[in-house]
Amino acid sequence: MGRGRSSAATLGAIAALVVLGAMPYIARSDWTLGAAAALRHDNNVGNAESPPDIVGDSTIDARLSIFQLFPLGESYSVTVGGDLNGEAFRKLTGLNNASLDGTISLKKKWGLGAFAPWARAGVSVGRSSYDYSYRNAWNYRATLASGRRIDERWNLWAEYAFDRRVASPRTEEVPGLSGDAFSQDSHNVAVNVEYSLNESTFLALGLLGRRGDVVSTAGDSEKITYAPRALAEDPAFGPEAYAYKLTGTTYGFRVGVNYAPTPHSLLGLGIERLNTHADGGNSYTKSVPEITWDYRFR
Amino acid sequence: MNRLLAAAAGLMLLWGAQPGGAAELRALVKDHRGKLIANAVILAAPLDAKSALRAKPPADAVDQVDKQFVPYVKPVFVGSKVLFPNSDHVRHQVYSFSPAKRFELPLYAGTNAQPVVFDKPGVVVLGCNIHDWMVGYIYVSETPFFAKTEAAGTAAIDDMPPGEYTVRVWHPSMEQGEETTARRVILNADGPSTVEWELSLKPALRVPRVTGSASAGYP
Repeated sequence: MGRGRSSAATLGAIAALVVLGAMPYIARSDWTLGAAAALRHDNNVGNAESPPDIVGDSTIDARLSIFQLFPLGESYSVTVGGDLNGEAFRKLTGLNNASLDGTISLKKKWGLGAFAPWARAGVSVGRSSYDYSYRNAWNYRATLASGRRIDERWNLWAEYAFDRRVASPRTEEVPGLSGDAFSQDSHNVAVNVEYSLNESTFLALGLLGRRGDVVSTAGDSEKITYAPRALAEDPAFGPEAYAYKLTGTTYGFRVGVNYAPTPHSLLGLGIERLNTHADGGNSYTKSVPEITWDYRFR
Repeated sequence: MNRLLAAAAGLMLLWGAQPGGAAELRALVKDHRGKLIANAVILAAPLDAKSALRAKPPADAVDQVDKQFVPYVKPVFVGSKVLFPNSDHVRHQVYSFSPAKRFELPLYAGTNAQPVVFDKPGVVVLGCNIHDWMVGYIYVSETPFFAKTEAAGTAAIDDMPPGEYTVRVWHPSMEQGEETTARRVILNADGPSTVEWELSLKPALRVPRVTGSASAGYP
């Protein structure tokens, strides 16, 4: 159960070296490099229902991304890329993590220009490494998205994603009950709309839905003890904390305003609000306000 | 066509040879708050059609730099050939749906794209099928006397035959129609004449280049 600081640090260092080593190549090739940072506050990091179990915390997130677009004739394009991400928690430092992801997607446009309808299918594979190494996991994601920019003001799109997270099973705490609490599958849908107020400011609204595994971290309460499909200790939240894997349905929304101070950068202010109803009558809510910054070097 | 250009060039030389015989139009364009407006196209159409004979350079260019059209606004004389060199490291696919000129340049890099002849007056909106935020404008002028305002909101058209002209202004974001800006001016060789316009501009909405991780932007 030891903290996997060396694991996270090694992964981060290797990824940073790869990115830095590639910089001269990036500078003279078609690759596009981006950077992003976010400051968030999650008022219920552990997805808990009972007030004594609810823990809020702030995070700072930094991301380097790189991708290349390969146009395939008039209608299709393939994008290959990767992300290096780091997330640091203010209090729950055991959840600090680094991740490295690779993505490939195929996009089709029906027609020329910014207002042509489009569809995109993609898959990504990534590895997350946590300060508490028992949360380390492989992350797989398959997405289908489609949308259309109606005019210069309105942009609409919808996305479906299947997420699979594969962590190493932990020791059974309860005989017969799996200890694989941190592996999760989920189906996610989102419908999004953006509205431009002027040439540098736009509003964004997303309606979110999710069905699948959720992990609630709580103490030893009777209500949640009889519902989970898996159970494991979760010392990142304290010595008496347990992670319960439940099946749940989540509805929510994300709303934000984005401002582009330059053509290459974007500042965002937003909030995400989620309501989850899980097995055994376990329900929880969370709100995540955030400040974001995105920069694209080319 | 070559004869016409040669004749026009001859007329130019003739006008140029007349000491003090040319007129000059200066323009200043502001918005209703007094802010000086760049990228406004000033057009001067002589009432005497013969005065419109003038040779223009055989080719113009609109470059693509940092995934933007450069310049953002390019006025050209009707019939001009325009090259679309690509100074970026990525390929572009330039197109226009505008009635004044519909065209598409298949994906290309460098300077290999064929020039496009703009043979009909009007506004041509340029886009790139790969980079949705790229937008540019070619104003195809039916008169050879035109200029584009700089950042200071000023433009000058010189070497014009003296006479009576209809002058007007066009800008990509102007709310009013171009025809409502038309004025009659008489230009003579005594000195430059200055015309000022005050335009109402609507917000220049553009597809954002950076859309954030939650968005469906490029790519």
